[in-house]
Amino acid sequence: MGWRDFLAMSTRALVAHRMRSFLTLLGIAVGIAAVILLTSIGEGIHQFVLTEFTQFGTNVVAVNPGSKGIKGGPPGLPNTARPLTLEDARALERIPGVTAVTPAVWGNAEVEGHGRVRRSTVYGVGPAMQQVFTMSVRSGRFLPADNAEQPRAFAVLGSTLKRELFGHGNALGERVRIGGERFRVIGVMESKGQLLGIDLDDTVYIPTARGLALFNRDGLLEIDVSYREGTPAAAIARAVERVLDARHGRKDFSTTTQEDMLEALGNILDILTAAVGALGGISLLVGGVGIVTIMTIAVTERTGEIGLLVALGARRQTILGLFLGEAVALAALGGACGLVIGIGLAQLVGLLVPDLPVHTPLKFVVLAEITAVVIGLLAGVLPARKATTLDPVEALRAE
Amino acid sequence: MRLTDTFAFATRAATGTPMRTALMMLAMSIGVAAVVLLTALGDGARRYVVGQFNALGSSLVIVLPGRTETGGVGASAFVTNAARDLTAADAAAVLRGADVTRVAPLLLGNADVAWGGKLRETMIVGTSTHFLDIRKLELAQGRFLPDEGFDRATPVAVIGAEIREQLFGSERALGQMLRVGDRRYRVIGVLARSGSGLGMNSDELVIIPVASAQALFNTAALFRIFVEARNRDAVPGAKAETLSILKARHGGEEDVTLITQDAVLGTFDRILGALTLGVAGIAAISLAVAGILVMNVMLVAVTQRTAEIGLLKALGATGPAIRRVFLAEAGLLSIAGALCGLLLGHIGAWGLRQAFPELPAYPPNWAILAGVGTAIGTGLLFGIMPARRAAEMDPVDALAKR
Repeated sequence: MGWRDFLAMSTRALVAHRMRSFLTLLGIAVGIAAVILLTSIGEGIHQFVLTEFTQFGTNVVAVNPGSKGIKGGPPGLPNTARPLTLEDARALERIPGVTAVTPAVWGNAEVEGHGRVRRSTVYGVGPAMQQVFTMSVRSGRFLPADNAEQPRAFAVLGSTLKRELFGHGNALGERVRIGGERFRVIGVMESKGQLLGIDLDDTVYIPTARGLALFNRDGLLEIDVSYREGTPAAAIARAVERVLDARHGRKDFSTTTQEDMLEALGNILDILTAAVGALGGISLLVGGVGIVTIMTIAVTERTGEIGLLVALGARRQTILGLFLGEAVALAALGGACGLVIGIGLAQLVGLLVPDLPVHTPLKFVVLAEITAVVIGLLAGVLPARKATTLDPVEALRAE
Repeated sequence: MRLTDTFAFATRAATGTPMRTALMMLAMSIGVAAVVLLTALGDGARRYVVGQFNALGSSLVIVLPGRTETGGVGASAFVTNAARDLTAADAAAVLRGADVTRVAPLLLGNADVAWGGKLRETMIVGTSTHFLDIRKLELAQGRFLPDEGFDRATPVAVIGAEIREQLFGSERALGQMLRVGDRRYRVIGVLARSGSGLGMNSDELVIIPVASAQALFNTAALFRIFVEARNRDAVPGAKAETLSILKARHGGEEDVTLITQDAVLGTFDRILGALTLGVAGIAAISLAVAGILVMNVMLVAVTQRTAEIGLLKALGATGPAIRRVFLAEAGLLSIAGALCGLLLGHIGAWGLRQAFPELPAYPPNWAILAGVGTAIGTGLLFGIMPARRAAEMDPVDALAKR
């Protein structure tokens, strides 16, 4: 049988039972659409979270006090018997490849200004923070490169805090009281928005040494090191560890590269997307059962036809191919419909929730279509085999 | 046609084509089993978390230093530094509240712990004697911290089971002098093994009096204060009292955040509940697909049984009677499939419980009802069109198989 005849027979069989074919298609299509929609949303969340985290630059290594692998406590414990100091931070600046270092300490304090009071997060940071975290100043300037031990009492406001205290008025040059101490406002930061529900703009930045004094601490909470683009993160982390090791005598700190963190985060999100896709896959499985059912019925109905074909000399393989082809065609067509529906729905979700960058990667599209075809093949095998084992004489007599 | 006849007819029709019936039931049962199993998983996780929280005691108020206008629990929950510290003296003052029974200040930090040439870094908890009861911990040996003022820096320590094993091995830990940071403490007790709780593994702790911890870390700032109310009803009162005492002590400034156990629990409960519902909804899509299959097969059945329908009509069966027969078949199929799925789901949930004994993976009643209900509902809904087509057949045409 030529492939032309083959195709013609399959199509005729499908078209002859329009309603039946349509419903089988629909079953597979719903399954594929569910998988595509869910993975698109999952992928969208993935992208969303990654951009949220990479907005601070990706070439950052964070150093925290306390060695890694301490179990039993919440992350970032504030106290340690071995503090990280401003001198440690200065030593890290000398590492080749490092572009900027900012020693950081943060806490919560009352900020008074323009006759208003607001409790905000206070960050004690170095003048290079702006560079490390790729943040920009909207008006005025960032903290100047003063003597690190005795910096002048300057403060830079986050945009939310500026609005709450000064409204639309000018804040530059005004005085604010932070935890009872006086600071002069020299800049206002560009808005950074929210990260995981925390307003990043309800903050005020002051020099690190002032922050340490304000919170009455001698150790930093974190040192952030940014390095030249293209330098391997692991090499910088190793160099940081070597320098601090030499200064402290042993490893009583831990380093986290942004790369590691993003990779770990990416892995978790990938698993999440896969899990959600698998949930949608349940529908696909049911759709597969649908194809099996319909093909079984088709074989029973067309017993006479099969008998005739065999009597005319059609080989068993041809019969097998005919039924398998029909099942695969159904599944592939249903899969294609499902793809269109799924991508359409995903775009609709994207329109309704503009914050979520729904995204259907080609990988998922191809994977889903292949899955549909494979399901068609698997579902077709049983009925098709049954068709080939029919005895032609018996089959011809069936009608 | 009588009701029993209708059902007998439908049953015979279904059992007449066993392969087809079995496949339809399989499709239905996959959907129902997925709903039951996934909700069992979700609800099990919810119950596990709630159980963990309740183990902490439900009449707890947690005091955090610092307060921000925005973000609520978010940002300030990870911040210990505030311009005005939360101190052990604050904790002692809170104890004066009428609705407050116990108070445990909490000062956390990392330090080296060493004994007999073995050294490891671990978490140090500076607290008071009430910590044991508030966190519902148990002692394996010795006794807990002595009941004394929060300003007494007695050099004693209680260690977790894991720490005991790693540092002391088979030797006796009680009475030994343990070096923590640059100070020495006498081990007076060992905690019983309790496994990991939420966020804090008590097997790897070293617990010392709060004043000792203040000296060790050279800070007065507490990480948290745990306040236990007299009972569950007294929680709001205890919260108000704590807040007013701390406000008075901090110069009229409200610079602390108070969290009640119920509020945290409620949040977790809602999040996990919504998650379970979402997962169940996704699984229920497969029931719609199964419904489409039922419709498809019933349509085929109507076509195949045209002659039979014609005969029935010729013998005087009315349209509604025919419709009932086909609807009954769709309903029976769905019910059988749903029951099979329920059984499969329960077996799956049982398997989950065997694999993870700490997870109470029981499907909630609403999920069972919703799963089975949706299955039967979709089966009947998708059965309507084929049944109507059968009912509307012209008897003469049908008998002629046209």
